[in-house]
Amino acid sequence: MSDPSSINGGSAVAMMGKDCVAIACDLRLGSQSLGLANNFEKIFNFGHVFLGLAGLATDVTTLSEIFRMKTNLYKMKEERLIEPESFANLVSSTLYERRFGPYFVSPIVAGINSKTDKPFICGFDLIGCIDYAKDFIVAGTSSDQLFGMCESLYEPNLEPEDLFETISQALLSATDRDALSGWGAVVYIITKDKVLFLIYFF
Amino acid sequence: MSASSFAEGKATIASEYSSEVRREPIEHQFNPYSDNGGTILGIAGKDFAVLAGDTRHTTGYSINSRYEPKVFDAGDGFLISANGFSADGNALVKRFQNQLKWYHFNHGKKMGIRSGARFIQHLLYGKRFFPYYVHTIIAGLDEEGKGAVFSFDPIGSYEREQCRAGGSAASLIMPFLDNQVNFKNQLDPESNGTKKKELRYLSLEEVLKLVKDSFSSATERHILVGDGLEIMIVTKEGVRTEYYPLKKD
Amino acid sequence: MVGLSFDNYQRNQYLAAKGVGVPKATSTGTTIVGCKFNGGVIIAADTRATAGPIVADKNCEKLHRLSPTIWCAGAGTAADTEMVTQLISSNLELHSMSANRSPRVVTALTMLKQHLYKYQGHIGAYLIVAGIDPTGAHLFSIHAHGSTDVGFYQSLGSGSLAAMAVLESNWRDGLTKEEAIKLCSDAIEAGIWNDLGSGSNVDVCVMEIGKDAQLYRNYLTPNTRAQKSKSYKFPRGSTAILKEDIYKLVDVEEEVVNLDTMQVDA
Repeated sequence: MSDPSSINGGSAVAMMGKDCVAIACDLRLGSQSLGLANNFEKIFNFGHVFLGLAGLATDVTTLSEIFRMKTNLYKMKEERLIEPESFANLVSSTLYERRFGPYFVSPIVAGINSKTDKPFICGFDLIGCIDYAKDFIVAGTSSDQLFGMCESLYEPNLEPEDLFETISQALLSATDRDALSGWGAVVYIITKDKVLFLIYFF
Repeated sequence: MSASSFAEGKATIASEYSSEVRREPIEHQFNPYSDNGGTILGIAGKDFAVLAGDTRHTTGYSINSRYEPKVFDAGDGFLISANGFSADGNALVKRFQNQLKWYHFNHGKKMGIRSGARFIQHLLYGKRFFPYYVHTIIAGLDEEGKGAVFSFDPIGSYEREQCRAGGSAASLIMPFLDNQVNFKNQLDPESNGTKKKELRYLSLEEVLKLVKDSFSSATERHILVGDGLEIMIVTKEGVRTEYYPLKKD
Repeated sequence: MVGLSFDNYQRNQYLAAKGVGVPKATSTGTTIVGCKFNGGVIIAADTRATAGPIVADKNCEKLHRLSPTIWCAGAGTAADTEMVTQLISSNLELHSMSANRSPRVVTALTMLKQHLYKYQGHIGAYLIVAGIDPTGAHLFSIHAHGSTDVGFYQSLGSGSLAAMAVLESNWRDGLTKEEAIKLCSDAIEAGIWNDLGSGSNVDVCVMEIGKDAQLYRNYLTPNTRAQKSKSYKFPRGSTAILKEDIYKLVDVEEEVVNLDTMQVDA
């Protein structure tokens, strides 16, 4: 429990559906077993790309600002928004740059490519190794629990409304079995032309 | 302990960096424990109980056996499994079975599940300072004929529960059980978000489906789980065993 | 800024001194093999990536392209194998453009070993490098500290002993392409079944003299999951919601502006 990535606690999960993706996180910020805040969101969006950051809170905040800067520079240079696939490579190289002094985070990315309308999710380890997945990605202190939930609840080609139920039940039940996660949750359901943003709590 | 408290000539630990040379005695220690992986799962129903476990036996990255049963019918309708360090697990089960025999000789009657649970507490706590390195689960029927599952920590703290997963993939399976057996976090969709989904006993068929899916999911994501699934089912008719293959990679 | 940054290194050393551990990166507790045959060389790998005892990725790609005819299988720290391979691939392309020749396997090998040696084993990449160049077919292996080996067959990773058992008993001189593919996929399968760090599928890459390299992604899939005994789709309305918002994110409006008539202030 003196591991930097489990001092503050927190979890995130992403899932792929039929022409849609979902990304969700809990809202807890703690210091070891002491809960400090129930409004610490771990999902950030850069245009239509969503980034979930679980791990050491100071690095979560720092990285979210770094990616805000990098995606804004990208937008100015390219005169378009960054696509999920490119953003994944940006995250990877940003993390690997710190190979021998890493940020203690496990990021996940979710989004729909605005050109091809293809849904995209992926995850990373703390030094930027990309895990491309066709089904789901989990991260954070309840990653074991999330793996168990997602592996059993998930099925492919869910409609947005059904994907919401599946990802929500997976996250809530997983975080209930983790002392360092929970205290509320946010779920984003992303479809081609709109984002459903939902909050619920324990 | 200060370095000066050691006489000269004692062994030193040194590396290629001179600043890292320390004068400490080199300690060797015997580690009496190891981890043999695997996972177990017990669920109690209305008039039945199941106790299931995978049959893979491992040390490190190696498979010792693809079929090494760890769920046992101890007699008197007791199912018992002690998952973790298998030498300790087997020793505990054997001791329990042996003591159960003495119980019959001395009292001439079946042991109740609650007595069995309390007895296991004493077997475990008897080794409070050199514990059996196991997570123990027993299953059976209580005095009213209802399904019962008891789970123990390594030194004998125990509790009766509706369901419990133990072993290396317990953290993967337990939240799934909360969700699908006790309907945690599920609402009644008709109630418009006002009522919880009502609790009910699951049928044996439903329970077996949950057990099989729990283990196949754990096999997908945990490297120490796999090869085979052995489910023991206890009803008032007695104990029966079912076997299903799991992935072997 | 050139090269890797060590900015957070001091902070993390301080954290480590306070008894704080370092979390594990995903490592590919892997089986990878390579084998030469009459007229070429092939490499193969399993597709499991692990983080401790948990399977992080069931179908990852451990076969990396260094150049169109030189491929490389990676074991060890997943990010390191990926990044070192991308870096050398890029430098190899630049090198071959400036030399105006197609790259050689020994060039890739030398670039990789010099890079890894420079980092004294801290870049945890264990690689099998194979390929075709104007001098023929080649097969090498590299360890994280920078040492290299040459051989007709190679295996690396946590499943290397299982794989080498198969290679040692079945390899012979003058294998045909089909026999070599069978040998390598058998060796990987030995790792998949008998090594817990390896699993899922077999990827194979065949490099034949005078032909384009061929990647057979998921050449064997002996571990597809069986149907679950039940669907766990929830009825809609099963989850409690506190608040719901809808954002329309992608909404770009374009306007044509006539530059001639536009007012420009001094």
